[in-house]
Amino acid sequence: MSLKSYSRARAVHVMLVYTGGCNGCDIEIVNCIFSPKYDAEQYKIFLTWNPREADVLVVTGPVTKHNEQPLREIYKAIPEPKAVIAAGACALMGGVYKNINGDIPSEEIMGPVDNIIPVDAKVPGCAVRPEDVLAGAVAALPKLLNAK
Amino acid sequence: MDEDNKITKKQVIETEVPMGTVHSAAIEPYRVRLFVEDEVVKDAEITVGVNHRGVERIMEGLPVEKANSLTEKICGICSNSHIWNSVMVAEKALGIEVPERALYIRIIMEELERLHSHMLYLAHGSEVLGHETFAMRMFYIRETVMELLRMIGGNRVQYGVPILGGVRPRAELDQMRIQNIKDGMDYVEEKILEFAERFVSDPMIMSRITGVGVLKKEDAIRLSATGPTLRATGVDIDLRRDMPEYDSFDFNVITQDDGDIKSNLLVRVLEIPESIKIIRQAIANLPDGKITNRGWDMEDTPITKSYIEVPRGKLYHSYSLDDGRVRNVIVRTPSITNIGAMEYACIGSHITDAQLAIVQCDPCFTCTDRAIQIIQI
Ligand code: SF4
Repeated sequence: MSLKSYSRARAVHVMLVYTGGCNGCDIEIVNCIFSPKYDAEQYKIFLTWNPREADVLVVTGPVTKHNEQPLREIYKAIPEPKAVIAAGACALMGGVYKNINGDIPSEEIMGPVDNIIPVDAKVPGCAVRPEDVLAGAVAALPKLLNAK
Repeated sequence: MDEDNKITKKQVIETEVPMGTVHSAAIEPYRVRLFVEDEVVKDAEITVGVNHRGVERIMEGLPVEKANSLTEKICGICSNSHIWNSVMVAEKALGIEVPERALYIRIIMEELERLHSHMLYLAHGSEVLGHETFAMRMFYIRETVMELLRMIGGNRVQYGVPILGGVRPRAELDQMRIQNIKDGMDYVEEKILEFAERFVSDPMIMSRITGVGVLKKEDAIRLSATGPTLRATGVDIDLRRDMPEYDSFDFNVITQDDGDIKSNLLVRVLEIPESIKIIRQAIANLPDGKITNRGWDMEDTPITKSYIEVPRGKLYHSYSLDDGRVRNVIVRTPSITNIGAMEYACIGSHITDAQLAIVQCDPCFTCTDRAIQIIQI
């Protein structure tokens, strides 16, 4: 095991990027990592706001027009290997914002997230439950840990 | 250039520190430009609009019940406030009578939401302050409230309790739920008082937040700040005192005098016991009877307005009804009226305090992106 993967297995840094959802998912994710009740830090999952430190990108929200370019750039800035988790109904299929009456798509929404960047794990829910976020993070880990 | 600096009337400053839209110090995407001289912020400019999803546009033409539940998705922090106010617009327009019991349940939800919103503010504030331990403690206490909300509404974030003419049958309070709320309130009160005690007796925190990010009373009024941000500057305004829904409840309006970060934090800390007081009264006097009134007819109505006091200030909704569908939706959230206050609170503080000065006004940028431009053809 190389030093890099050794240290990665012991500290996974998660970056949360918010692309225009309703804040519900974001707070649940911060809650899941910070709050002593769920406490993802005990599984060595840490929250960071810096893409260059991050291993896992958690995306919430339906990706509004102005957030599309920043999201691509953040994805590019994260060093390989990286995993992406899309969290919440918004990130998975545009949520309530994507379709206006029937199937007229909204011009404001560029999502869902996998239109823009590749997604490795999907966490459903509106809003996501902290338990599901932990499960999603665990599902994304093999990709990171098995990378050479 | 005069045009740009109308609010602050400051001369043009050369050094600019831009932040955002996605920045590691700010959780939500928004753009701040800080104009600095010798590391002291002389002027600030906040640009919003990044999160614009056009909820008003999506609501346009939807059946009113659907539109009401869509307003919840405007904000995941004060979702109950949005749906309550939106339902109230239709109830006012159609003259729907709400049963007393339903009203009390709505008020319990609203006050629980105020608790969790204020605790989130305190947690976020402590985190920006650099005190992660306090943030974690706050999140732990907040968890009790979140579980109560999940118990009543069935979801941790968007509960969807109010419906036209009452509350959802799911939200009926039975003995077990009432007991849980009582226990939860006892626990939260005890912990919050402990927290407040520690907070104000910590000399390091107090020296960090006293006199920083000051917003003067006149400025707050001029910039039409609202909610706890306004009350922290000494203005004694709380819409709850004037709302007929809160007539039978006894509570105090909290004000502080300085308008700095300390006052802002204290207003929120001290409002938590007041909310607990309201919840206790609501539970003690919970009337019996129905929780929904289905005896009403749909009509066409002109534009109707409604204002309520939500955790962060004054919320405005208005729409007209046409064939059971909503038209001309306008939503005005407290965060958007507080943006002027946020810009002003940064001025004069050191650049490291600027983020804190913005956070002290309790911004919620997902609520903020409301403005819709109407182009005349
Ligand atoms: S999935 Fe639901 S809770 Fe999450 S950001 Fe979207 S609307 Fe908000």
